[in-house]
Amino acid sequence: MSARDVVISGLGLVSPHGDDPAIAFEALLRGQSAINLWTREGLPPAAVASAAFSPERWFTKLQLVGVDRVSQMAVAAAEMARTDARWPEGIDPERIGVFIGSGMGGASALEDGYEAARSGRRVSPLTVVAAMTNAPAAHIAIRARAEGPVYTYSVACASSALAIAEAAKAIAAGEIDIAIAGGAEALLVPGVVRAWQALQTLATPDAADPGRSCRPFDLHRSGFALGEGAAMLVLESRQHAQDRGAPVRVRFAGSGISCDAQHMTKPQAQGQMRALRNALRASGLSPRDIGYCNAHGTATRVGDGVECEALRTVWGDDIDALRVSSTKSMHGHLLGAAGALEAVVTVLALEQRCAPPTPSCQEPDPACAVPLIRETKASLPDLRSAISNSFAFGGTNVVLAFSRND
Amino acid sequence: MSNTMTELLGLIQKAYDIDPASIDPHKPLSEFGLDSLALAELMFNIEDHFHIDYPESRTGVQTLAELAQVVDEVRAAVQVK
Repeated sequence: MSARDVVISGLGLVSPHGDDPAIAFEALLRGQSAINLWTREGLPPAAVASAAFSPERWFTKLQLVGVDRVSQMAVAAAEMARTDARWPEGIDPERIGVFIGSGMGGASALEDGYEAARSGRRVSPLTVVAAMTNAPAAHIAIRARAEGPVYTYSVACASSALAIAEAAKAIAAGEIDIAIAGGAEALLVPGVVRAWQALQTLATPDAADPGRSCRPFDLHRSGFALGEGAAMLVLESRQHAQDRGAPVRVRFAGSGISCDAQHMTKPQAQGQMRALRNALRASGLSPRDIGYCNAHGTATRVGDGVECEALRTVWGDDIDALRVSSTKSMHGHLLGAAGALEAVVTVLALEQRCAPPTPSCQEPDPACAVPLIRETKASLPDLRSAISNSFAFGGTNVVLAFSRND
Repeated sequence: MSNTMTELLGLIQKAYDIDPASIDPHKPLSEFGLDSLALAELMFNIEDHFHIDYPESRTGVQTLAELAQVVDEVRAAVQVK
């Protein structure tokens, strides 16, 4: 361990499993799905995971002017992460960074604007400030008075994983001391859901048991369930954490990034393998050191097989010691916030040496032959390091590696 | 207090939870927490509520008293037409 290490000192969540990380993780360990049926008149039903969130705890009515749901959830998760990290007064504002991922930004504001324009009504003057993709980061920066780098990453499903990776690099490089990093997504509005349905990547809703609609690694998988929420982490240098006596949850071990540069939506094992190898190299870990992988695992027909092939190739004979699950089966796919939510899950798995299953995977696809966690509350007593995969449309791959702090 | 002023205070209370009694109509609205974005939204709501087009030339008003005066002027001008 060195003073230049980057550590995680706080977690904050607004998720389909609630806003308490410990309670949400406990639900995931039990295999409890938050996916439900979404129905709107004139539209086909969808399986989605919505977050029970209302902004009153975080915003006055006046503060809500021009603030889309995505920014509301982002601010709430960031405030909770800062509280969890016992964020101190008096940090030099220029040494604070905010690194946020979001795929679609203020989808509700944009949809309301389109609706108004199409139906001949007037468009709200705050549509642009509410809808712009960097609004969540800007609102967090205002609250935290972060005057250093305040960046937004819009890299589809890898947005917030990349945001976390970049925050860690800025800290390791000494550019900043502390960062709020994560993601937010709130796109459960008819136009956006319809667009995803049209792409034919969404899970066929299971009418009998909607919670099992998304079935990663299963022979009968049909795609993912859109989810909404926000997940934030506080990252800081070990030195900074030590100096202020901060709680250290885990160490950020490293990240690996690559781009397939082949196809907009079809993932490539070669690209994912490069990201996995880059993450191992950056973190100084070897495959046998990694005890748990929170897979990208979107339950698309092509995606899961490619991811498992990449893992098998890089891990080789060490694959038997790796345990893999996709928690998207329960909290849905939070797109721009997915990497951050799954990073939170991975951090908690390391802390508790216990990992969640993929409960909807009943009949594993032989093409997904990796050691899947099938049991609830899988105890991993030797777990020291874990990875979280995020592989985006557009081909960008991000792998985050974390290690226990002891 | 004019009807217009009462209605404006009602609009502000409904949209922003600000107690009408706490607002001095002769002080800039920024003193009561309404920044430029909130003011832009308020103008939008005023146009909807009073069915008027708020004149571009008067967007620089600072206080509620001035706003009420502009609203009354516009409505009077519409009635004359």
